[in-house]
Amino acid sequence: MKPSVRQALREGEQLGLRYSLLMPQTTASGATGSRLGRRTGSSIDFQDYRDYEPGDDLRFIDWGVYARTDRLTIKLFREEVTPHLDLILDGSRSMGLEESAKPEAAAKLGALLATAAANVQCTHAVWLSGEGFHRLANDSHPPSTWDGLGFDSVRNLDQSLDLLGPRLRRLGVRVLISDLLWPAQPIHTIRRLREGAAALFVIQLLGRDDVTPPEQGSLRLIDSETGETTELYVDAGVSRQYRDGLARLQQSWDDTCRQCGAHLTTLIAEELESSLARLESMQLVAPA
Amino acid sequence: MFPFFVYPLALLALAALPVLAAIYLFRHRFRRRTVSSLLLWRFQMPSREGGAKIQRIQLPLLFFLELLALLCLVMAASGPQWRQPGAGRPLIVVLDDSFSMRAVYEAVSARDRALEYLERHFRRQPPPSVRLVLAGSQPRLAGAPVRTWSELARQLVGWTCHAPQAALEAALTLASELGNQQANILILTDHPPVDERMAGDRLRWHAFGQPSANLAIVNASRVSHAEQDRCLLEIANYAATPQLARVTVQAGSNTLQTSSLTLAPNERQRLVFEIPGRAPLLEAALEPDALGEDNTVQLLPPIRPRVRVQVAITNAAMHELLSRTLEVTGLRAALSVDPELVIHQASGAVHGTNAWDLRWVLPSAEEGVAFTGPFVIDTSHPLTEGLALEGMVWTAATNLALSPGTVPVITAGNIPLVLAREDALGRRHLTLNLDPGLSTLHNTPGWPILFWNLLRWRATEQPGLSERNFRLGAEVELRTAGQPATVTRPDGVVVQFVETSDRLSLETPLPGHYLVSLGTATNAFVVNPLAADESALTGCATGRWGGWKDEEAQRRQLASAVWIFGLAALAIMVVHLVLLAPRAKGSR
Repeated sequence: MKPSVRQALREGEQLGLRYSLLMPQTTASGATGSRLGRRTGSSIDFQDYRDYEPGDDLRFIDWGVYARTDRLTIKLFREEVTPHLDLILDGSRSMGLEESAKPEAAAKLGALLATAAANVQCTHAVWLSGEGFHRLANDSHPPSTWDGLGFDSVRNLDQSLDLLGPRLRRLGVRVLISDLLWPAQPIHTIRRLREGAAALFVIQLLGRDDVTPPEQGSLRLIDSETGETTELYVDAGVSRQYRDGLARLQQSWDDTCRQCGAHLTTLIAEELESSLARLESMQLVAPA
Repeated sequence: MFPFFVYPLALLALAALPVLAAIYLFRHRFRRRTVSSLLLWRFQMPSREGGAKIQRIQLPLLFFLELLALLCLVMAASGPQWRQPGAGRPLIVVLDDSFSMRAVYEAVSARDRALEYLERHFRRQPPPSVRLVLAGSQPRLAGAPVRTWSELARQLVGWTCHAPQAALEAALTLASELGNQQANILILTDHPPVDERMAGDRLRWHAFGQPSANLAIVNASRVSHAEQDRCLLEIANYAATPQLARVTVQAGSNTLQTSSLTLAPNERQRLVFEIPGRAPLLEAALEPDALGEDNTVQLLPPIRPRVRVQVAITNAAMHELLSRTLEVTGLRAALSVDPELVIHQASGAVHGTNAWDLRWVLPSAEEGVAFTGPFVIDTSHPLTEGLALEGMVWTAATNLALSPGTVPVITAGNIPLVLAREDALGRRHLTLNLDPGLSTLHNTPGWPILFWNLLRWRATEQPGLSERNFRLGAEVELRTAGQPATVTRPDGVVVQFVETSDRLSLETPLPGHYLVSLGTATNAFVVNPLAADESALTGCATGRWGGWKDEEAQRRQLASAVWIFGLAALAIMVVHLVLLAPRAKGSR
């Protein structure tokens, strides 16, 4: 792991201490834990009554009601769950582009979210794409202890999902951090990530060079993931077409996210700290 | 045709061309850039300059335009010149306009031989333009440049060869300036150049003269001498052998004198004789020889100026003294009506538009102071020419009142003795401060000299001519007093001067009789071709000196092509600008 990424993890961890992960009520689901779940459970918080059915735990029969009404009635309590955050990091080479702040920004953002989740007793797991998805070493520990965070995969996120998808916890909060720059239908990716999730947040992390095309001149462009090259002369028209293409791509991802109930925001890696407010506005984190 | 470069070193600037190419190559070399994905770089419509088209053509059109512009500028800086076939250098012909060109040898004059050569040269090798410079006393242009022989022949009519000298050096300078180092210069004369090693490669000197023996009248004058006219003729022998000169002097049809003079080589002899003053035109002639112009002179009777003087002096002794003095000057007219000079003692101004006045101030016995000198004389004044006052006693008034503008002519210390003033009409007002009874001036030669100067001065201010016999080329001064004048030249040309100032200077380009009509009066003067240098034909020669470099090159004129390359560079830069303008607009 690059020292700069390691340093970014430490900075993200420090930064995350200021935030708390916002857990939507609809998302309270998971193993027995310290937070009330959406479903009935074994907590002490009364939720409802219902008629006894064979097989119900006899300990929850409300004998007082039976005495008054001669009907077996079961008391329902809310379940207690431990919420979970699945951080899905795009580990493709496009995220680790040299002369770009994207790898450090991705690490910092991941660390921030993981720390914000820990601040609200929320477990987390970090999934990194590559030859399929795999969890980072020590990902359940504080971010400064994470290991193996590298952005060197030649496969894009969609291909990694096809190879080996992440085992995402059901009804957990999922956050995808990626530049979303690969040629595929966004619906394919979003549906798979959104399925079974309480909420899906997609953070498009772009470098400044991704947003601003190069100045006028002849360029031999090399795809960071495929190594494919193309040569062209960049002029005002080309720049305009590039910006239009990027806008269309973002619009297609945004439309797909809306369609699937996910939330999308775009951050510029070089301006990460100044744009964290967007995370608050999309109801992902809140000041601690 | 291969161009000739005036500044070939400027071609070193061609080294800038590979520099420009290198700049473009480096500028348009593909910069490697790794991007996140080529997803956004795949366009449906390729850029106007980008995409596959640009991949094929690495250098844009602007590069080639700049390359061409640079090439044109380098070519322009190197001063390319093309040899244009069929065109030649302009020709400037300097024609000797002196009368020695009229000297005849074998019945043909040098002028005619030069003219024949010029026509032959023109028809064999016609230059693009010809300009004639006539080398007379002063060089002058015969007209505008001409292209055809007929136009040239019309200008050659003015080549009359009557000038008393040929200013060839000045004409050559004028021709050089006109030619601006581009034209060929041809000199047609009758004598060889002073320095036969001709400098330059655009000057050709052709002489068509022949060394000939020539007897010439080189000086002639006729002056009044009392009632007679004294004539002087100077005859020169320009020959290598002694010559016998027979001089015939005629007045009208009367032969006044025939003389035979034997002259040694290059000897001059003077013939002085007197004729009656009433004799009209006098004509002296030598026997015909090579140059007929200098064999004959005509002399008109000299002008005897007379001044109408009115003596308005009441003192009888002074009146008598003045009358006697004026008579001896020989310049006083018999009549005194409408006087031109009034001598008086009054203090007021004299009436009349034409009269000068001499006011004689007679001091009283108390006012008079005798001076014995030193006298201060304005020697540049017309009144004091030849005047000497040493040893005389001059008694004058010391309290003389001076009018504004009065100039002292003779003073004794700070006491003015003779004063002069000119008024707005040009009249002179003179003052003589003298007591003749206590002075000795009237007993000295200074007295008649003073009055002779006065009358002579007044006479020179009379309208008309002051002389009647002039040398060829001399300027004749004609006092017009503002009247219109008409001059009829010997060739019949009449020149009118409708508005004149006080004086006119008349040119005398031709020998012969000139008539001058001034108001109602008609005067005549005669001009004689008297020029010893032109009469000396022994130095004449036939030959050719100098030449024009490269006869073939004469038919090929070097024409500058700088403007072509300059215009081409300008046009290319305009196209460059037009191509660049939309791009600059798009980048804003």
